[in-house]
Amino acid sequence: MTDKKTGVAREKLVNIHVNGTACEITVPAWRTLLEVLRELGHVEVKCGCEKGDCGACAVLLDGEVVDSCLTLAWNADRRSVTTVQGLGGPGKAHPLQTAFIEHGGAQCGYCTPGMILAAKALLDDIPNPSLDDIKRGLSGNLCRCTGYTRIFSAIRAAAQALRQEGGTS
Amino acid sequence: MLPSFELLEPHSLDEALKMLATSEATPLAGGTNLLPDLRAHGRAGRRFISLAALDQLRGVEHKGNRVIMGGSTTLNDILRDPLMPKAAPSLVSMAKVFAGTMIRNAATIAGNICYGSPSADAIPPLLSVDAEVTLTSAAGERTLPLDSFLLGYKKTAHRPDELLKTVAWTIPAADSANLFYKLGRRRGDAITVVGVAVTVVIESGSCSKARIALGSVAPTVFRAKEAENILIGRPLTAATIDQAALTAAQASRPIDDIRASAEYRRHTVHMLVRRLLTQAWQTSGAKQYD
Amino acid sequence: MNRMENPLAGVKSEKFRQVGKPLIRTDSPTKVYGTAVYAGDLTMPGMLYAAVLHSERASALLRRVDTTRAKELPGVHCVLTAEDLPASQGVMTDMPGQTGGMTKNTKQPILAKDRVRFCGEPIALVAAESVAIAEQAIGLIDVDYQDIDGVFDPFDALAPGAPIVYGDDNVVASYKIRKGDIEKGFAEADVIVENTFTTQYQEQAFLEPEAALAWVDELEVLNIRSSTQVVEHYRAVADAIGLPHNRVRLRAEFVGGGFGGKEVMTIEVWLALLALASRRPVRLVQPRERSFLSHGPRHPFNITHRTGVTRDGKITALQISFTSDAGAYAKLSPYILLYATVGATGPYRVDNLHVDSVSAATNNLPACAFRGFGTMQANLACEGQMEEIAKTLGMDSMEVRRRNFIRTGDANATGQIIRSAVWSDQCATQALAALGKRPENSQTTRIGHGVACYQQSYGRILWMKDSSEAWVGVEMDGTVVVRSAVADIGGGQSSALAQITAEILGVPMKEVIVYFGDGAVTPLAGTSTASRALYMSGNATQMAATRVRENLLGCAARHFSVEAEELDMNDSQVFVVGDPKRSMTINDCVKLCAAEGVHRHNLAIFKAPTSEGIDPETGQGVVFPDFTYGAHAAQVAVDIETGEVRVLQSIGAHDVGQAINLRAVEGQVEGSALMGQGFALCEELILEQGQLQTRSLSEYLIPTSEDVPKIKAIILESGSGLGPFGSKGIGEPVYAPVAASIANAVTDAIGVHIFELPITPEKIVKALRRKETVG
Repeated sequence: MTDKKTGVAREKLVNIHVNGTACEITVPAWRTLLEVLRELGHVEVKCGCEKGDCGACAVLLDGEVVDSCLTLAWNADRRSVTTVQGLGGPGKAHPLQTAFIEHGGAQCGYCTPGMILAAKALLDDIPNPSLDDIKRGLSGNLCRCTGYTRIFSAIRAAAQALRQEGGTS
Repeated sequence: MLPSFELLEPHSLDEALKMLATSEATPLAGGTNLLPDLRAHGRAGRRFISLAALDQLRGVEHKGNRVIMGGSTTLNDILRDPLMPKAAPSLVSMAKVFAGTMIRNAATIAGNICYGSPSADAIPPLLSVDAEVTLTSAAGERTLPLDSFLLGYKKTAHRPDELLKTVAWTIPAADSANLFYKLGRRRGDAITVVGVAVTVVIESGSCSKARIALGSVAPTVFRAKEAENILIGRPLTAATIDQAALTAAQASRPIDDIRASAEYRRHTVHMLVRRLLTQAWQTSGAKQYD
Repeated sequence: MNRMENPLAGVKSEKFRQVGKPLIRTDSPTKVYGTAVYAGDLTMPGMLYAAVLHSERASALLRRVDTTRAKELPGVHCVLTAEDLPASQGVMTDMPGQTGGMTKNTKQPILAKDRVRFCGEPIALVAAESVAIAEQAIGLIDVDYQDIDGVFDPFDALAPGAPIVYGDDNVVASYKIRKGDIEKGFAEADVIVENTFTTQYQEQAFLEPEAALAWVDELEVLNIRSSTQVVEHYRAVADAIGLPHNRVRLRAEFVGGGFGGKEVMTIEVWLALLALASRRPVRLVQPRERSFLSHGPRHPFNITHRTGVTRDGKITALQISFTSDAGAYAKLSPYILLYATVGATGPYRVDNLHVDSVSAATNNLPACAFRGFGTMQANLACEGQMEEIAKTLGMDSMEVRRRNFIRTGDANATGQIIRSAVWSDQCATQALAALGKRPENSQTTRIGHGVACYQQSYGRILWMKDSSEAWVGVEMDGTVVVRSAVADIGGGQSSALAQITAEILGVPMKEVIVYFGDGAVTPLAGTSTASRALYMSGNATQMAATRVRENLLGCAARHFSVEAEELDMNDSQVFVVGDPKRSMTINDCVKLCAAEGVHRHNLAIFKAPTSEGIDPETGQGVVFPDFTYGAHAAQVAVDIETGEVRVLQSIGAHDVGQAINLRAVEGQVEGSALMGQGFALCEELILEQGQLQTRSLSEYLIPTSEDVPKIKAIILESGSGLGPFGSKGIGEPVYAPVAASIANAVTDAIGVHIFELPITPEKIVKALRRKETVG
């Protein structure tokens, strides 16, 4: 849909690959990726602050972890988004998910989807992270329940499991 | 919820510059400052020009001892650049403590500079290496020192039809140290209370060049030039360093806000400049990086 | 799989098969896979979106609230103000989940009418086709405020001539304790030490803001699915909007953090009204900035201790005064003040005691429940005072503590005899020892060690006559079901019930299904507050599971021709202990029972002990079922030039009675270590003239991953708790000593005591300067 006066597109048909599935949605420029993902049914992407303070909305955009609340949906056009459900699920868990479960990295669980994706991005960058690397990698993800301790140990465990698997995360 | 706005999506730099020249529009890069601001205070009906497709604005060129950083280079790009620790150690230190990972993947150097906030973290390190900014528009290009680019509180010399194309600097000579420290109210993802970057170049046992750049303690990030001059041509004794640091603190014009009082900020400028200069003096001769 | 390196010091849990073990919580997988559903994730056909207009003024008359333009906006279905609500309606914000017992003025208007008393008070509600339209509509509501004098400090509020916030005066509640002979006590003292401690507003900062979905169903029952700690709010919702109780159904989804902030109703009544008015489902997820205004933060407290001690550290007399800022409506302030009052002496025995406490109304944000509920602040003052006493006497503060620790059999501040084990000393000793050797100071940093002990109640005030129900049953195929309306707020509330049931019925924990959180369909369990969920729901579950076990074993005993005591259940089998080859599956056992007409399920009600209250003159009475004791130790490094504090180690040692899930218990210690660190150092909700200055999570700062110290949990098990298997409540207790231990560590590092929380770098720099000038 185009603005008659300015000729500028008001809405655009945006094509986003979410967890491997192509999704199409027509949205105006000011819709965020967070809003669009949740509207598409991906309510595992959580809203905590809408301004990049908390990281609950983090997703992987072409493999890079971003706050979906600060990403315009138009900027995700023809790109791929991975949510925590795209990493794995029951019966086919990603090593990070297995480790989070084993180590008790989730309490209320609200920060968890974003946290796991930030951890994934960290391990993609640094397969053998030090504790400092882990802390820095999660610096945009707030958690109020766990004190992070088990999140750190889960990431370490996952990192080791992935290195033993010999593959990328 | 963001207010409604128009988003133009140029596919080339020329197209973008033409748009900037012909319509009233704001460049939008990472959006990590702009979008929260828009959500909180913004009016509907603004026009933005997305720089997302303009790959040529992103990336760092290392040409000998000259570093040319594209305006759309992200903070994480800086962390991933293996040559950056030698090219500008203070910039790497800063990037490590800049917001959080997700923000670092989106926030750009140009965005941080042009937003003009006195607490813009990237500016003190860039000032400390005498960075120059090159602005480009449909009418041509111009280059000026970053020092002259900062005019006041959220005010830069950036014209409405311009994009910040590159930030460039020359790597300091052999015996130098370039350090940064950010003081915040928590260690991670904090708005800076005091930001300090220093460069010290040593020749024949005395300081031949000094830069002291201070953030969050004045309407704009600035260099404490009077303090810098105290150091020139002398070995940096404790007394000299303290005098310079005190001078830098006195040159600051901080405010009281919810994070800290002006008095505390002046005090910590003194302490941190003193500390960084001491460290710089003691370790120069080997490039300093974390 | 890799195991976390975490020595399980002091744990002797071999007596149980599953209880006490760090088994995977039943709610962990769904949260990690991202399939867990929270209230804001729910959608229904025809759903509308709500938005709330909050007052921008702290103290003003509402001259005009004009919703005309908002109502005319296309896509808006309804706009509600106080005009649309019957005059008498207000929201009861008394102790939730109870059957009555309202204290002074605990009603708050649902929507402000004629007057607003705090910045953030709700004025209007909108339901519209989209969030965008709802937000636009909010912007189209015209409000004419007329500012009137407000009061923003509790001491100012209590002074003669202060503007009255509501009612006759600004005294929301007051209590006193008069125990022993205070004059005699002070006369016996060799030294008197007096100090005043102040604590700040703390915001819960749960990651999930308030969220709920409401609709009227085919039975004309109002349904609400909410992020709440209390399913029983359905009664208060019903009363507030004029429906019978049996026509309101409240379900609690997984809650993304509560910490007390979702203990009173937040947005439920608003959505109920919109759903009734629009006859459509209505959903609201509060934007973070409005979340700050939609629930109450922790009460700021001003606490003075005047302690008489002998030269060898024995407390002979203690006089304490508390003043708290209740804010613009009472909510739970009377109870929080009561908790502080009765917990005033911390984990110490004081025979000559005066406590005077008052909570004052102001035009600030109404403060409310937050982990620790007043007792936490009381403990903090105690532990700071311990350090001051020790300093004055030239003694080690642990020695002073040891001279005064309350012991089993002693009477506490209200004369209640402590029946449980009191392992304060062991906990403190272990926590301190675990800090290890003190690293060297550097030129610019000073290392400090600090410890704090505590006494924190678990279970509710006894005159609430608390109870909790749970249903346990075995299906025809041998699989096990638990039903309890307990709200799962992230601490493993529902999982614990699975673990208890699994232990008793001998089935793997992960095969137990727990249906939780439904006020209409699952047996009512009471609130997930007051560290009571494990105690109350755990006991009810234990009772129900035990009855089911008895029934099953009875059948099996007849079948095997043995006594029931000779049988056991494990690995989904029922077997003869002395001859395990004689066994049957639980599946077969159930079929046997069915054939004999024996019940395979049981609904149990656990009733807490009761009492009739405390004497209004002396404050004496039995108040709580029991208390938890423990300690926290901290190691800090203080930069004496910038005042920055790094917490290097944070160690909690607690007697939890019996850990049900060891991982969950440790998780509570770890989480509270960081939350307490925030309270000690960097968290502060700042209000100026009632206006909130810290409106987002970049201004209100909670600790991040980069702030995390080395955290360790030391779990001791005395078995003396009143919960299932001898467990105690721990959610609040483990939080109680953290901030005090860090404050004490800072004092140790810099040699100056800072009495006002949070201990910011600026306060440290100022304190060091003062110390220098004073010499």
